Amino acid sequence: MLIFATSDKGGTGRSVTSCNLAYRTALDGKDCVYLDFDFGSPTSGAIFELPEVLAGVAGGGLHDFFLGRAEEPLRIDVWAESERDVLLTRPAGAGMLTLVPGDRGGSEFRATAEMVERCVRLFRRAEDEFDLAVVDLSAGRSYATEIALAATAHPDMAGVDARWLVFHRWTRQHIIAAAGLVQGPHGLLEAGRARGHDPAALRRAVRFVRTAVLDPAAPSQTGLRPEQLAWLDRTDRGLHELAGAQGVGRSVVLGEIPLDPVLQWREQLLSNQDVMLHGTANQESVTAFEQLAKRLFDDEAWLGL
Amino acid sequence: MQIQPRQQLLDMWRSTARLSFVDGDWQFGGRDGANSISDAEQLLCVLAPATEIPLFRLDNPNVAERDVLDALDAMGTHVQVPQRLVRALKKYVDRYTDADGTPIFSGDTYFEPGEPGAEIEPQQRRLDVVDSFSVSITLMLATIGFTRIFRQIVTRPELLDEVAELERAASKRLTAAMVGLLRSFAVNVFSAEDDFGQELVRMVNQDRRPTRQVVEELRNALREINARLRDDVTIGSGTKESGEFDLPNRLFECGWSWGIVQEAPEIETSDVGVQRPGRAQNAPYLYFTTVALDAIQALSSERTRLLGLLDEAQLKLAQSLQLRFELTRSYWAAIAGFGQARWPLEDLPWRTTDGVEADYFTLLVSGMMVQNQIAVRAPDADLSRVADVLEEVANRSRITRRSTEREPALDVHHPGLRFVLEGSETAGGPKLAWTVADISPLLLRRTLNLAGLLADGTARSRLLDLADELWRHLDNRSLTGGLTDGLWDQPAGAFPQLDVKFTEVSWYYTKRVVDCLVTASHIINEPPLRSELLADIAAELLIEAEHLYDRERLNNSTYSGDSLAAELKQIGIDLERARNRRRERPGVAVAVAQDVLRRLDRLSAARQATHGTM
Repeated sequence: MLIFATSDKGGTGRSVTSCNLAYRTALDGKDCVYLDFDFGSPTSGAIFELPEVLAGVAGGGLHDFFLGRAEEPLRIDVWAESERDVLLTRPAGAGMLTLVPGDRGGSEFRATAEMVERCVRLFRRAEDEFDLAVVDLSAGRSYATEIALAATAHPDMAGVDARWLVFHRWTRQHIIAAAGLVQGPHGLLEAGRARGHDPAALRRAVRFVRTAVLDPAAPSQTGLRPEQLAWLDRTDRGLHELAGAQGVGRSVVLGEIPLDPVLQWREQLLSNQDVMLHGTANQESVTAFEQLAKRLFDDEAWLGL
Repeated sequence: MQIQPRQQLLDMWRSTARLSFVDGDWQFGGRDGANSISDAEQLLCVLAPATEIPLFRLDNPNVAERDVLDALDAMGTHVQVPQRLVRALKKYVDRYTDADGTPIFSGDTYFEPGEPGAEIEPQQRRLDVVDSFSVSITLMLATIGFTRIFRQIVTRPELLDEVAELERAASKRLTAAMVGLLRSFAVNVFSAEDDFGQELVRMVNQDRRPTRQVVEELRNALREINARLRDDVTIGSGTKESGEFDLPNRLFECGWSWGIVQEAPEIETSDVGVQRPGRAQNAPYLYFTTVALDAIQALSSERTRLLGLLDEAQLKLAQSLQLRFELTRSYWAAIAGFGQARWPLEDLPWRTTDGVEADYFTLLVSGMMVQNQIAVRAPDADLSRVADVLEEVANRSRITRRSTEREPALDVHHPGLRFVLEGSETAGGPKLAWTVADISPLLLRRTLNLAGLLADGTARSRLLDLADELWRHLDNRSLTGGLTDGLWDQPAGAFPQLDVKFTEVSWYYTKRVVDCLVTASHIINEPPLRSELLADIAAELLIEAEHLYDRERLNNSTYSGDSLAAELKQIGIDLERARNRRRERPGVAVAVAQDVLRRLDRLSAARQATHGTM
């Protein structure tokens, strides 16, 4: 299955959530590959804590591949290369966790027909070799998204399960932005139609993920004053109404990631040890990642209304 | 109030969902077996709050409240819950539709043999009952209201078809149920001399006056109601009898029989399948009358009108039902409040024209009395008289006055009040009987309703105290342990001397408790009573506070430290708040004004401290 991760705005936690999804899925015994399509800023190596590729590889990455300078993009086995203690060895029963990085200093480029052909090949291989391929697109309407839309509409991709996750924070501005990214002018649906997608089918393949959600009932919010909680409750209700009206309501939401202090300060994979041993991350966050990872494969969750 | 509808309804939902939703499908059944009434009651336990209380809505998962969705965890995710409800509702409608498409409103397992040991014949089990018409009206209205909103959210064509199909089927069943009610309306005309007449006259003649005089006055009091019965009731049952009223010495009663009345004519309307011949005696039963009135009230409710839940044919039927509703309500209110001295209603227990006495009947009649009082805007004094009656019923049925003996007064709770369904034997078989044991929840609902109407704070709080006591009683009666935990009914929970232990749920009873909680939530959502006294006090306090505040500002230098300036600013804001809240929430205004006064006084006291030392 291919999962495209996108967001209208930066700072939504798209990359860190996507990395954690790949990590959780691998822990669950499935083989995962993470394709860093954030061509302007390929920093997923930092999240996986790969010291050599913090901001992409020196050459042979996805840029070189698309520009025809490399036949195959470089692959990095996260279990082998990561400096992170819990990633040092592959846990028993875990699947592969592979990163396909971008190139350091690379930038966005306009899609050509040849690039789309290459992209189709790349996706088909990922589909064949892995249970899950997470394609992390850059924020906003980007060339990366255009390539992805064009590639997925290609006849060779028929039968390949491609789904879209739109990440947004749980605020007024982000809700409106996320709705616009999908349904608005030059949005995903419009761009998809131009590339040959059936808009209804494409819409069914889009789900939203709310990030950095402040859950008033969470134990970590005990510091809030009663007035703040009362206000928060009303604001939350207002946001739900706004989201419903904007077409990004609960019925098209695949998951919610709570606000987590660790993720606020440092984009990283949340391991069970961060909760159990270090006590730095919240169990709710890990549970949310686990649930979301499970729902990726739960067809009923994608069925919608 | 001790009743906390949100928490209690959510607990109840959790149990209902866990019990009803097994292996991905809704399962019907309960203590009294599955039938067209019990199954509807079971569904209404979820659907009634979901459609009557905005907080509990499930028709739009985008804005549903989180704790509400969590409570229905057993039915799946927020996206699955409404879909599964749609399927459960469709399953209900299909179960109770004949092969030829005629909706079924049978009493089935709720019927009991009139004499112990008699065997009920299968064709008797299939007899239509007013209870089923009524509960179907409530459930189908809720269903259509639900699908109307839900279908706006749905995008998948298959699901849209499913929702539309349910709405069509529900609408047909709704029409059929309304037709059923129109054919179950009974007008019983009798002479003042025969048994019915004598009972009625004895009941209304509270000041022991000559019978002839009372009969004449009663006829006068009922003349207008009768005239409308004769002139305006033109379709369905009860159309022929009212003419006889013009004969001398005739009295009558009207309301709903237990089922379709014998020889009830068919009604012309949209297709509702076969209109079955009637079997029921042409005389009103207080229980079924009350049940029918509740359903008709739902037909004319604000929600039904706002959402436009009825189609054209249904609107016509609803109008005819509304007319019968008003006449029946006026009739029983006229009887219950007849005379100059004590009301017949206040003479407990109520005695029906066929000579049966029960406090339960007093409760049923007082419900109609209150409905009439709402319509005629009766003064608080009259409402208080009904409140006294409700308190008395609570006492006499051993809810508020408890005893440890196993006395006959407890029979109304268990096994319940039993009455024979006259005419049921004409279907071939023994006479059937009906048992009702819902006095406690019904009393609570009536108490809450009445409390919501009272404008006098003292009288209202007296009734709310009674409601609290009734709720404690009901709370004790919930089942404990096992899958049915938190559902109803375990009469021995309140009356240990009743030697009976149930493990299965009674949807009949649970649904009635849900009605109470829904009513309570409506009452709580209304703005609190405004006390004139408190408003006056607040006004006086504000005069002093504002004056002191102005003096504080005038006499002291504006050149002062930050904290004093901040304090004065805060006081100014609080004063503004108190002024704004005085009309709506005088108590709040008093509290804020008092706090302001205390703070101003602290400043003034501090300044005075300088006098002694300088």
